[in-house]
Amino acid sequence: MVHPSRKRDYKLISRLIRDFNGDVLTVPGRVIALIFVFVLLLFPLANNDPHILRILIMANIYVVFAVSWDLLSGYTGQMNLGHALFFGVAAYVAALLNIHYGLDPWLTIPIGGVAAAIAGLLVCLPALRLRGPYLALVTLALPFVAVAIVLLFKSTTNGDMGLYGIGRIFSSFEDPRDNMIVTYFFSLVMMLPSVLIMWKLTDARSSIVRLGIIFHAIREDEIAARACGINTVRYKFIAFAVGGFFAGIAGGFYAHFLRVVNPQDTLGVFLSFEVIMYTVFGGICSIYGAVAGVYFARAFVWDYLLTDVVEVDVGIKRMSLAIIMVLVLLFMPQGIAVWIRDKIEKTCPRCKLNNAFFRRNCRACGAELHVVKKKSIAPDMSSG
Amino acid sequence: MKRLAFLLTPILVLALVLGGLACGDDDDDKAPTQPPTATTQPTDTSTPPPPPPTAAGTIKIGIIGPMEFVQGEHHWYGAQMARDEINAAGGISVAGEMYLIELERADSNELFSTADAVTAMERLITADNADFVMGGIRSEAVLAMQDVAMDYKTIFLGCGASEAELCARVKQDYDRYKYWFRVTPFSGLNLVKNVLFELGIAGAIITQGTGFEGPLKVAVLAEEAAWSEPVVGALNAFVPAKLGMEIVGVWKPSATATDVSTELSAIENSGAHIVVPILSGPVGIPYGKQLGELEIPVASVGINVEAQKVGFWDATGGYGNYMTDLNFYAQGVAVTEKSVAFVDAFIEKFDEIPTYNAGTYEAILLLKGAIERAGTLDTDAVVAELEKTDMIGPGARIVFTGNDTPEPHDITYGPGYATAIATQWQDGEMKCIWPNLGVDEWEGIMYDGTVMWQIPPLLAQRLSSE
Repeated sequence: MVHPSRKRDYKLISRLIRDFNGDVLTVPGRVIALIFVFVLLLFPLANNDPHILRILIMANIYVVFAVSWDLLSGYTGQMNLGHALFFGVAAYVAALLNIHYGLDPWLTIPIGGVAAAIAGLLVCLPALRLRGPYLALVTLALPFVAVAIVLLFKSTTNGDMGLYGIGRIFSSFEDPRDNMIVTYFFSLVMMLPSVLIMWKLTDARSSIVRLGIIFHAIREDEIAARACGINTVRYKFIAFAVGGFFAGIAGGFYAHFLRVVNPQDTLGVFLSFEVIMYTVFGGICSIYGAVAGVYFARAFVWDYLLTDVVEVDVGIKRMSLAIIMVLVLLFMPQGIAVWIRDKIEKTCPRCKLNNAFFRRNCRACGAELHVVKKKSIAPDMSSG
Repeated sequence: MKRLAFLLTPILVLALVLGGLACGDDDDDKAPTQPPTATTQPTDTSTPPPPPPTAAGTIKIGIIGPMEFVQGEHHWYGAQMARDEINAAGGISVAGEMYLIELERADSNELFSTADAVTAMERLITADNADFVMGGIRSEAVLAMQDVAMDYKTIFLGCGASEAELCARVKQDYDRYKYWFRVTPFSGLNLVKNVLFELGIAGAIITQGTGFEGPLKVAVLAEEAAWSEPVVGALNAFVPAKLGMEIVGVWKPSATATDVSTELSAIENSGAHIVVPILSGPVGIPYGKQLGELEIPVASVGINVEAQKVGFWDATGGYGNYMTDLNFYAQGVAVTEKSVAFVDAFIEKFDEIPTYNAGTYEAILLLKGAIERAGTLDTDAVVAELEKTDMIGPGARIVFTGNDTPEPHDITYGPGYATAIATQWQDGEMKCIWPNLGVDEWEGIMYDGTVMWQIPPLLAQRLSSE
């Protein structure tokens, strides 16, 4: 006879398998995401070239940074053109704590994230009074303020030169190639849970966290959201703090990975624009769009295709990437990942669940997915 | 959502266009005689002399720099000249076997991104298997690139960054950083000495030529970069104390700025007589052009890497006349016995006067010497021989500072070693104006081909009326 507790375990496992089959394997987008994660986890088995791993580690850092921008500006609609502020604040905090107090990256990176979250809360104060382009302009100016602070406290921040000699993420092995492999896995440990958390936080259908649907509501119509009893101020603060925190995690990891932090690289305008470019390129307001944008535009096109395969100088790389992005904006205005998703998935008109493109009926409610357009019948004018 | 996309699209397009413009700004820098492929292909596609049949193998040298700008371009030109010269003579002898030099070109994009620079360095060493690397100009990025090269115990010969910390690290942790050597330029404090000499000459000639008696006012225009900070600090300390001049302010544009008219207008309003540019980036061209266009009655005396090249005259439309800056090479000026021939050959090949970044030429020559003396490619043995280097190159006699100095593996500065020169644009020609015994006695040095510094006419006119 099977013990009742064990019976419960069997039931739970069988339910998880059933849900996995029903909710993951039946949706092409999720299958692709799953395969992508497995490829990332197994990648060093196929290729442990430190140069390629460095490209992927930088991509993982940019992914967290880009997704955090998508959470804040894409989902909540708080247009932030100075997202580098959070990245830079955390990078500096992590570097200073490591250099002056000898703290390990495992402490400095989260503390950097918290510092960036606090910066997010401070930035939110003007954001409560401003909207749209006005908010965008204010946020664009904030990294300049941070640069001014860095230059003001030159004795601590080392001014333009920045901080260097920052401790590594991992350096226990003699061979730098081995260290790079371990660092790559740590970057995945940083990136995958961060993206998962931000994805769940922004999931409008989540039954666990209600933030996603509220973020959507604030973005679409803040006055209507407030009229519905939503404390929009509180949720804006949450969006800025969470967005800032994860951007800070990316910034802290960057500081320990590159081992130098300076105003131009961590608080520069181009860094803020870069993250927007990748997100829009992949598909704004989708989380996976930001991931796809970074991996495709930054890692594949910029760092691999145009550098390792075609081998062109930076000027031509920049123009080539610009042309690719403009073409994508022209023909796939929602972003490349969203465009692909729309091709391989169909949303049920009744229950709004996503289904594989080849299905005729919804996997949950059975509603017909391919709605045949009826021919419009022109009114017979002659009869009148 | 649509509103968001509506807001973002113009921003995105603007960012891309600006990025494109930034890379297109330096079109004037391309040497007209250089085949287009040489500026677009990372690997060397020019035709080197046919290899001797006895070559036992190749030694791969990675050249890393911002290749879309003059600094990286001249890294590459200098290296090409050394490669062609050495390969034509049979290559490098390693324990009796001849090895040819193979160059690998890496665009670091370091003026914009340290991350890109580090990725390029890692690629050179791990994917392209470069045996030695040289180049780099932006100190902040070179610090990060240096760490990567040291991780792989690869010899890195710096040919552009002046930050003292790069060599101080050798002292702090010799076993790790001993693979770093700086071939050019010398460190920031010595750069200040040269700027003070330049200012001294200009000040003396202005006083004698115009009869101006009051203290000359000096404005500093320093790009936002790590290397310029100590230079500005030292200028603030020494210009009033040593030269009796008054500093009226410091302005700091970006190293990649395309417009400095605001700063120049402010400098004009400050009443400055001399502007000291501390510029290594492409901002040097708009500075030179706009200073002339705005007809600001000042003399420009300092460091402007863009003004070291022939294309500067055309790029500024002649407005760069009378600009004076620290330099390492000038046509017809014999800093060493090899200078004139090298500069002439460089001009013949690339239609350009070499900037200090062409020090990759000397870097390869001294590396050849070290390898041949070591008789092996073993890195530690080559490092030991590099430390003993004493070579006369076209720009200087190169001897590295010893391990007992605060900054080992740096190029030795001073008379008999590396002194650099100062040049002034005089009606389309770059003339050497310092060291000049006619104006200022400095250790009895005066190189052949040196002329007198000329006061810009607008400044002379202004001072005569003051």
